Amino acid sequence: MSDLKWDKEKIKSILPHREPFLFIDEVIEIDGTKKVVAVKNIKDNESFFEGHFPGKPIMPGVLIIEAMAQTSIILFFVDKPKIAKTHPAYYLGKVKAEFLAPVYPGDRLIIEAEKVKFLDYAAITDTIAKVNDIVVAKANLVFSIKKNE
Amino acid sequence: MSNNREEEVKKIIADITEVPVEKLTLDADFFKDLGIDSLKAIEIVAAFEKKYRIIIPESDIPNIRNLRQVLKYTEKLK
Repeated sequence: MSDLKWDKEKIKSILPHREPFLFIDEVIEIDGTKKVVAVKNIKDNESFFEGHFPGKPIMPGVLIIEAMAQTSIILFFVDKPKIAKTHPAYYLGKVKAEFLAPVYPGDRLIIEAEKVKFLDYAAITDTIAKVNDIVVAKANLVFSIKKNE
Repeated sequence: MSNNREEEVKKIIADITEVPVEKLTLDADFFKDLGIDSLKAIEIVAAFEKKYRIIIPESDIPNIRNLRQVLKYTEKLK
């Protein structure tokens, strides 16, 4: 198993996302073309905590999904670098998710994305998010991938 | 035996696409006639791979456009 690590600059060379919507800070593990593990450090002053909720900050589940989706794109690049390097558009089309525990300011969110099936124009991943080894969310994601014309 | 396989395959496709089993005729084109898009296509492929414990190469997929072709493909699995 390879444990290549990526910093934010390398992540930004593949992901089209930028602040304030870049939801992974590092990639800490790459297992062949099967699995990628990424990290989002949940800061105390994340903008979404202001409204969700005042005085009781909890990370919205949909943003955990976003971190999972971005980790999945990194996995797609690892498996299909030729396609990913053309910077196609990634459309998240279907999500089946469970939210099992809340995520709080200061948490280190570890996201694992595993390949279920990748084609040149679509992808399915199974993803798990953990904090301190406790599973906080699980999701199956289906993407369509459209090359830039 | 082949009827069972046909029913099994129809059920997988009907569950994912939400097209009623009665509309899944042997020659209805998945894309042109049944409105299946790339998302549903990959879900169907993944469901078959899981059910029959196979890998379907991406190069085979463009040749599988209707139920008749799916069943012919699954003949190879026996």
